[in-house]
Amino acid sequence: MLPPIITKSRSWACALAVLAVGACATPPPADDPEAVAEFRETNDPFEPANRAMFEVHEVADRFVLQPVAEAYRDVLPQPVRNGIRNALGNLRAPVILANDLLQGNISRARITLGRFMVNSTLGIGGILDVARDWGVPGHSEDFGQTLAVWGAGEGFYMFVPLFGPSSPRDLVGQGVDIALHPLTWLGQGAAVDAAGWVRLGLVVVDTREALLEPIDQVRATSLDPYSTLRSAYRQRRAFEIENREVYGTTVAPSGVIGYGQGVTQPAGPNPEPTPPPPR
Amino acid sequence: MNHMTRRLLLSSPFLAAAMLALPRHGRAEMDLARATGFIQAAGNELVAAINDPRLDLPRRRDRVAAVLRRTIDIEGTGRFILGRYVRQATPAELAEYNRLFDDIIVRNLSARFGEYRGVRFSLGRSQQRTEEDALVNTIIERPNTPAFSLDWRVSEIGGQPKVVDVIAEGTSLRLTTRSEYAAVIQRNGGRVAPLLDAMRNQIAQLAARETRG
Repeated sequence: MLPPIITKSRSWACALAVLAVGACATPPPADDPEAVAEFRETNDPFEPANRAMFEVHEVADRFVLQPVAEAYRDVLPQPVRNGIRNALGNLRAPVILANDLLQGNISRARITLGRFMVNSTLGIGGILDVARDWGVPGHSEDFGQTLAVWGAGEGFYMFVPLFGPSSPRDLVGQGVDIALHPLTWLGQGAAVDAAGWVRLGLVVVDTREALLEPIDQVRATSLDPYSTLRSAYRQRRAFEIENREVYGTTVAPSGVIGYGQGVTQPAGPNPEPTPPPPR
Repeated sequence: MNHMTRRLLLSSPFLAAAMLALPRHGRAEMDLARATGFIQAAGNELVAAINDPRLDLPRRRDRVAAVLRRTIDIEGTGRFILGRYVRQATPAELAEYNRLFDDIIVRNLSARFGEYRGVRFSLGRSQQRTEEDALVNTIIERPNTPAFSLDWRVSEIGGQPKVVDVIAEGTSLRLTTRSEYAAVIQRNGGRVAPLLDAMRNQIAQLAARETRG
């Protein structure tokens, strides 16, 4: 049973959603325990509103995001795109480091710090992932994951247009990640602003490019893309939080948030792991 | 069961009692080496079919489909995905569901793999996951495409190892499909028939794409 405050704030939020879009999901009758269990597990009380948001997003995606991501892939050769992805991931290193530390994971924090130092210098500002070639692949972290490690549940499901699947926990996490990022606070003036927008634009395009095949696949094969994405997002987040190392792949090195549904580092499986370089 | 466990069991009556008290399922414990060998053999067969230069696309798809039917526990997976609605479906609906699900999964996977020209596959690290099944990790490489890793969940079905799930970086195909099918049923008044319509519709689309491709 939920504490009354949560129930209250949830029904209050639901009322807001009703005002905004139209309706909340109707809970199943209490005499059908299986249906109630399923409803809880799905945990999508604002499903009608979320589905409306999803439709909005799909239109924007088909007309803008997807064509831009396809053009990006067509115009730039893969080595250039890899360099961009590496550089974006490297720029995010301070946020990853902070979250490694907040999760109390010193060994992963050392990896992030070491990679940042090596790639920023020898890797020419992060364009080359030298540390990976040395057998130290990167990983992603975000404050949503940190909250999960601290014991916060993800909460109900949300679909945010242009942003994708999320939850209150992950949305808060993204706000904190932006606040944690040194670039948010660094400098001012037109040039800095422009650089910030370029970075944001590249992150969006890079993330969407990485998702071209997965999303095409979902659209082609799913009977209900909305619920497929919902399930995939949840499983993916659980997997990211678990920090299980997948040999040869790295989870979402560059995504602003690392919320990806299959966003992985380009390039093949790692060479045989070699001892980390002396620090 | 290995010697270590057996000795442990003998030396610990409590543990033995606990083991006896645990519900035993019909499935036997999956041996990891056997699961890995099974995936390797099936994978090699698939790769050979996909890369065979003498085959055109439709024949390649047929070959791939034949390997998939031998490798995957399609009926069990279909039941898992339908979940609690298995009991809600009439016997006729269930039979129709099984037929459609078999068609969809084979068409989907063979359409996907059939395009993987020049594919190479290698075993990654393997690990035993639960008592009943094994997870076998593979790395799929294609020219000009980033390599990715797939985990195959292998279970012992009727004395034979069979694939019961494919997991791409933490995302299980059968779990995702289960929530997808449940959503279709729920959005159509909790009835199974609309799901069958949607499946038929999808098969028609997949078939249309096959003739085009």
